[in-house]
Amino acid sequence: MADQSFALPEEVQSLGRDGAAATIADEDVAIEASDLQLFYGQAQALHDINLRIPRRKVTAFIGPSGCGKSTLLRCFNRMNDLVDICKIQGDIRLEGRDIYAPGVDVADIRREVGMVFQKPNPFPKSIYENVAYGLRIQGIKKRSVLDEAVEWALKGAALWDEVKDRLDDSAFGLSGGQQQRLVIARCIAVEPKVVLLDEPASALDPISTLKIEELINQLKERYTIVIVTHNMQQAARVSDHTAFLYMGKMIEFGDTREIFTNPTQKMTEDYITGRYG
Amino acid sequence: MQSNNQSVDIKRASPRWRRIKDNLARYFIAAGGVGVIIAVLMIFVYLLHVVAPLFGSASVDAPVSIVQTVDDNDANDPVVLSVDEGLTTVLTIGVDGHYRLLDRTTGEIKHSDTLPLDGASISASFKLPGGPIALATDAGTVLMIEVGYEPHFNDGVRTIHAEVEFPLGPDAVVLSDQRIDSLAVAPGDSAWTMASISGGAVQTLRIGLRENLMTGELRKDFERGQVTGTGAVPHYIAISGNQRYLYVGYDSRILASYNLSQVTSPPVLERFDTAAPMTSMRMLLGGISLLIGDQRGVVTQYSPVRDDTGHTALAQLRTLEVFDGEPVTAIIPEARRKGFIALSDAGHFAMVHTTANNVVLDERIGDVRPTVASLSPRSNGWVYLDAAGELELLPINNRHPEVSWHSLWEKVWYENYQEPEYVWQSSAANHDFEPKFSLTPLAFGTLKAAFYALLFAIPIGLLGAIYTAYFMAPKLRQTVKPTIEIMEALPTVILGFLAGLWLAPYIENHLAAVLGMLLLMPFGMLGFAWLSHRFKSTVGEVTDGWQPLLLAPVVVVVAWLSLHVGSLAEYLLFDGNIRGWLNEIGVTYDQRNAMIVGIAMGFGVVPTIFSIAEDAIFGVPRSLTQGSLSLGATRWQTMVRVVLPTASPGIFSALMIGLGRAVGETMIVLMATGNTPIMDFNIFEGMRTLSANIAVEMPESEVGGTHYRVLFLAALVLFLFTFVVNTIAEQVRHRLRQKYGSL
Repeated sequence: MADQSFALPEEVQSLGRDGAAATIADEDVAIEASDLQLFYGQAQALHDINLRIPRRKVTAFIGPSGCGKSTLLRCFNRMNDLVDICKIQGDIRLEGRDIYAPGVDVADIRREVGMVFQKPNPFPKSIYENVAYGLRIQGIKKRSVLDEAVEWALKGAALWDEVKDRLDDSAFGLSGGQQQRLVIARCIAVEPKVVLLDEPASALDPISTLKIEELINQLKERYTIVIVTHNMQQAARVSDHTAFLYMGKMIEFGDTREIFTNPTQKMTEDYITGRYG
Repeated sequence: MQSNNQSVDIKRASPRWRRIKDNLARYFIAAGGVGVIIAVLMIFVYLLHVVAPLFGSASVDAPVSIVQTVDDNDANDPVVLSVDEGLTTVLTIGVDGHYRLLDRTTGEIKHSDTLPLDGASISASFKLPGGPIALATDAGTVLMIEVGYEPHFNDGVRTIHAEVEFPLGPDAVVLSDQRIDSLAVAPGDSAWTMASISGGAVQTLRIGLRENLMTGELRKDFERGQVTGTGAVPHYIAISGNQRYLYVGYDSRILASYNLSQVTSPPVLERFDTAAPMTSMRMLLGGISLLIGDQRGVVTQYSPVRDDTGHTALAQLRTLEVFDGEPVTAIIPEARRKGFIALSDAGHFAMVHTTANNVVLDERIGDVRPTVASLSPRSNGWVYLDAAGELELLPINNRHPEVSWHSLWEKVWYENYQEPEYVWQSSAANHDFEPKFSLTPLAFGTLKAAFYALLFAIPIGLLGAIYTAYFMAPKLRQTVKPTIEIMEALPTVILGFLAGLWLAPYIENHLAAVLGMLLLMPFGMLGFAWLSHRFKSTVGEVTDGWQPLLLAPVVVVVAWLSLHVGSLAEYLLFDGNIRGWLNEIGVTYDQRNAMIVGIAMGFGVVPTIFSIAEDAIFGVPRSLTQGSLSLGATRWQTMVRVVLPTASPGIFSALMIGLGRAVGETMIVLMATGNTPIMDFNIFEGMRTLSANIAVEMPESEVGGTHYRVLFLAALVLFLFTFVVNTIAEQVRHRLRQKYGSL
């Protein structure tokens, strides 16, 4: 039963013992954040985040705008490094490896933790070159390897049938939904361990959104997926676990069904039922 | 109801206003745009309008008959004619020496008299370019005459008073003891030289002139001689303008030159056969080039050329195919240009320009006795006796024969040059000068200056833009970008002034140090980068994007070091004189050279390139860089593979605008290049650019003259060059935008 409160640090300890997340066996943890604090200059954006994200499951972050869910997501592939004033304390382990340890190659981390952004951001290149990009920057030049990987990734992103005849066309010729799936294909072409989705469907129409959601369902067989979404139904539909964040604190984390049907925290319930947010 | 009505009114009024404003704005903007296009077109049209006459061909108007009033002494036709530059007065001289000065329009005789020929008859004449006429007689004497024209104003009416003068005095000089068949004269300040063919031999005469300072009386010394030992019949003679060479054409194709410094018996210098039998011979204006017309209708230009060993020999500068197969019976040189008129035995009349290698006119005018014809000093009219003995004036329009594709763009063999060359030398102090209007060295200089400027500006501007836009800390960027952009506001005249008067001498004196700095700077920077990387764990790391501040002292230290070690290195490696060493290995060093221009103009172009390129790179959406980084790309990979291609249209524009600026830049090149129009890519030599050339020479060119129009042509070339470059650039940019655009 997930009936714990996570509002206070001591209760976080109890999460480790009996919480829903605690039911995840150590070897099944893909990402583990412990005592994570994040500051933008003087302002603290994340407070004492403790979190274990299970492998090959979909974990959703929900919460009102500005609650820090995207910031938290960006901690997992160190995209926050690009912000000068951002400082991080605590640690995040990817498959047990501290990704903020000195001497860690950021590019390495990002190759293992792929990310898809809110707005589709294909490169001004052909469809083929977009998907092959991640491989090319790793120095893979062999055409047959690239061809195979591109086809595999596009199939994996459920886009192959739509673009197989125009791989050399510009990626800008695709619709928004196709572009987003192309970006997902580009992301999985390098076979990451984790795929971070930052509101991947918020700029898309309902049908494209549906396709993306179907895709997420397929992808979780191979990848650990973390998705940030504003759309409560989407979180309920696609995720296995849900974390509710509010004002930079993690209020509740647990099995999605539990969170949506029987949250332990009043705040969670209020948010889910639309009383604020 | 009332209020309801009002609101309806307002609603109705506002769309109308909006429409009016919208239309006003539309027409105003359209007018502005069209105005710009019209302005550019008008500049283009004006340039074309000024340049067009250069390429118009010469023409002649219908001949005008000159009415001759009959007088007592009208027994014989004139044997010598002359006309003044305003085509107002015609001089006719009869065989007995009786002359008349006729008003060209009315035919009225203004003056008539008889020349002091002592009863002899005129047998030959020689017209010097610009006026003096030598008359030779059957008694072997020569009389020099010149018509002086003086304008007079009577009640506001301009009349020309003409009078016959005698430059060598009214007494004829004795040149031969027989009838003179052919004559050549070369005038000078201290001496005149004459030569004649008389009795099948060539006689020479040098008249030394000495003026008595007190009385102004002219004293003459005579030195006579004869060309001996030829064994052939002389037909044509000519004397070089410097009175040093005598050229004789013998029957029928032997050409010989003699050294006239020994007048009494000139020794032969050269003797060779021409390609075809000679039919005429004259010196070109300036007395340097010898023109020989032949049986084939070809005029060949010979000129003495000194070779590397110091030996002077006649060289064939060019052959002009004037007439097709009709022998050239006469060559009459123009008085103020390197051109001439040629007549064929079939009645053709051609105007030719030697430098331009250009037959500008070929007309049939019928039978003309070449000895009884005269070209006006301005070459705007030609007076002759036609077959019926009528005096005719042929007005000529031939204003710009000097210009042809050949003379503008190709190698031309100019007089006194060892070989054909590209030369720009538009004017000199005297009339005899051969203008050299080759635009090639100027176009070359323009490109050379632009090349070295861009060689300096592109790496600095572009790499600086990349760093500033992509790697630099935002706070630092906020200071750096406006600072560099403010450099653009620096007047180029100040840059040129600094470059010419401070930088050029400074670099000349510290050449080793400056070159050393160029070599040391990259090593200094790399070395410092290595050190900071090596010791970053002990010293600590500077925040990303602030590294340039660390580099600044490195630059200063390296510069300081180079300046101090430079002279030592120069002393050790180049015996203390690097310029001397450069000279030894065959590299000329000018104080004002392409390196100075490269630095100064590069400095002027850097802000342009930097600013536009920086904007383009900075404008690449963050989402693209983040997308690339999130795939595990390093920042460098992201920059090279995503940012630069995406920004490429803007970067390309930046380079092209930089090029356009470098090509059109005037003040810097004017003050820092030395303005020597040479064709050499050596970085240590100067150049002259099209734009600087216009700035330098436009004030001193005669409005409407050939020089003036050629300068406009230079402007047109510059205009077309930028036009073509910009058009190509726009096309390329468009392509790039299609490829990397829609962002």
